[in-house]
Amino acid sequence: MLSPALILLACFYFAPVALTTAFAFTDMSTATGIGTGAYVITPNTLRGLQDEGLPEDVAAQVMAETYIVDRAGLDAAVAAGMDEGFVADISARLTGRAYDSARDFIRALRELPNAPRSPRAITAAAEIFGRSALNRRFETREELAEALAIATPEGAIETREQLLDASYTGAVFTTENFRRLATQRETGRVLLNTLFYVSATLAIFNVGLALFLAITLFYLPKGLMGVFGTLWLLPRITPLVLYAILWKWFTWEGGFLPILAEQVGLPSFNYMKGSVVTAWITMISLNGFIGASFGLILFSGALRTIPMQQLWASEVDGATRWQQVRRIILPQMRWPILFVTTYQTMSLLASYAEIWLTTNGGPGRTTTVWALEAFRTALFNYSGNLEYGLGSAMALMLVIVGFALSLVYLRLFRFDELVTRPRIEF
Amino acid sequence: MTRNFATLPLLLLLIVISLPLTVMYGFLILDTFTDAPPGELWPDRFTLEHWRFLFDGGEIGNVWAAAGNSLILAGSMTVIVLTVSTTGAYALSRLNLPFRRFFLAGVLVMHAFPSVTLLIGVFFVLNLTGLYNSMIGVILVKSSLMLPFGIWIMKGFYDAVPWEIEMAGVQDGASRFTVWRRLILPQVKPGLVALSVFSFLDGWGEYLLPRILAPGSDMEVLSVFLNELIAADQLGFNFNLFKSVGVFYTLPVVLLYVIFQHRLMNIFGGGTKG
Repeated sequence: MLSPALILLACFYFAPVALTTAFAFTDMSTATGIGTGAYVITPNTLRGLQDEGLPEDVAAQVMAETYIVDRAGLDAAVAAGMDEGFVADISARLTGRAYDSARDFIRALRELPNAPRSPRAITAAAEIFGRSALNRRFETREELAEALAIATPEGAIETREQLLDASYTGAVFTTENFRRLATQRETGRVLLNTLFYVSATLAIFNVGLALFLAITLFYLPKGLMGVFGTLWLLPRITPLVLYAILWKWFTWEGGFLPILAEQVGLPSFNYMKGSVVTAWITMISLNGFIGASFGLILFSGALRTIPMQQLWASEVDGATRWQQVRRIILPQMRWPILFVTTYQTMSLLASYAEIWLTTNGGPGRTTTVWALEAFRTALFNYSGNLEYGLGSAMALMLVIVGFALSLVYLRLFRFDELVTRPRIEF
Repeated sequence: MTRNFATLPLLLLLIVISLPLTVMYGFLILDTFTDAPPGELWPDRFTLEHWRFLFDGGEIGNVWAAAGNSLILAGSMTVIVLTVSTTGAYALSRLNLPFRRFFLAGVLVMHAFPSVTLLIGVFFVLNLTGLYNSMIGVILVKSSLMLPFGIWIMKGFYDAVPWEIEMAGVQDGASRFTVWRRLILPQVKPGLVALSVFSFLDGWGEYLLPRILAPGSDMEVLSVFLNELIAADQLGFNFNLFKSVGVFYTLPVVLLYVIFQHRLMNIFGGGTKG
């Protein structure tokens, strides 16, 4: 009965974790593709290798096009539909010869008795016999190795190996991603942003405001409690896209707040993306409003479990409301607060959909957080080259942090109470 | 309780804090029926023009097709989550499985684990299995990510069913499976209802997965449809239209909440009363 669940979880929980971990150590990107690559030497590859000390002459040899008249070339020429007499000429007079430049080879071809008149046809014929390792796609390493052996017969083995490594277009294993993350200045900034975002949202809204709302509603008459409770539940049940639209309408130029500000004479601009400070305020409150309802529900539930007698007794003793909250309620809320803090830290660290649809980390990259950056690096950016490897490395960090926090959360649950043994033994 | 504390200032503070939400949701409804002159906050005329999209898809495209696709996504996801987690949770709750402790801990960790971080890995999985860009992939992924939650909730409901019922059934000669189907399932019906409503709402509101994992799919769901409207510039920023489509999109959600309010509250926040 458990197997369907296990299969689905294996496919979409464990496999993603495994792949994220594996790909975090590769340089996979749009350029390399997902899966295995091929071997191609481009002029760029050579230039890059020359900077790393590839000998001039080897580079020149690889670069140079050589023309060899052999069986394979003749077959290709027949297949290409060339004049039979011409092919026979080539076969009879030029077999086994090699030319280093196109010019020499074309001259040799033109001297043949059955050579076609038009220069273009001769050039086309010459191309068939061209042998170059450059810009050709080899499916396996061996194929390219053979081609290189022909192109640079005297090139050293190490040089050839170097060329082979550099020409691979697929992803290779590397720890470069982590080195880049550790050394990039951008990383520190994104980390600080994340830290600020999570702690501010958590302190102000998810715990602070939620606690305030829960306690205030606790003291209010039932009817009012229902009204405000429903109002604060709305952000949680509103579909994300509509919620983003509401905030855009609320803060964009031509929207509610800018118009209001203009009417009372305050600076009016796009608050969501117009300045760093307003962007942060928008981002924190729009996430916080969603988070507050979670805390509100949990705290309200916990408040109802506090024995009324304690509150009555304190009132007989003349305690003020503040003293009641401070000395009776808050101490009993310690566990719910701890619980909300762990759970919401994870949610805030990992979630980026709200940010993506609203400020999108802007203006510039001032409100970019870790999860958003990982997502944009790997799956969604406008430059078109998606760096899967680097994105996976960033996501892997989140997975590790998320896993560690889940374990903490597990401890808070007092797990052992939940696993009493079944009482029917078959 | 005695009133040794003035409620009024507190109430005022509460109203001020709730003001942004009140304004947003108040105008959400108001704007779908009215038009305001540019640069003004208050509408000056009543109009039903923003609801024309329901009959005339010329301006924004067919909203009903998108709603149908959303329904398919949310519906099939609900079916998968419901069947897989009712069976799985029963096994975890009542059967004497090997490694039961380990499975339970695993489900709980996965339930707590923020699954959005897996999106990049899921993208690779779909790419390698060829399910990328298909709605089937999205449905499978969405259901799987919901499973730990579903199993955990259902396990809670199964745990509350008295062992005596099950023992009586076994005593009378029924197999464990019959006992589960005939005796236990009716007992956990509230859980089934809550879980199905919950997963339906989750599927209905989902934006990220269809957008990222099936961007080229023929089936455009309502959330993606709505967001494309804003992204497409040719309409200008006709917020009143966006809001009308948004209200159309959210209406089923609100209805389900109103109907099932009390049952949902029990399991909100993962059914975890800390």
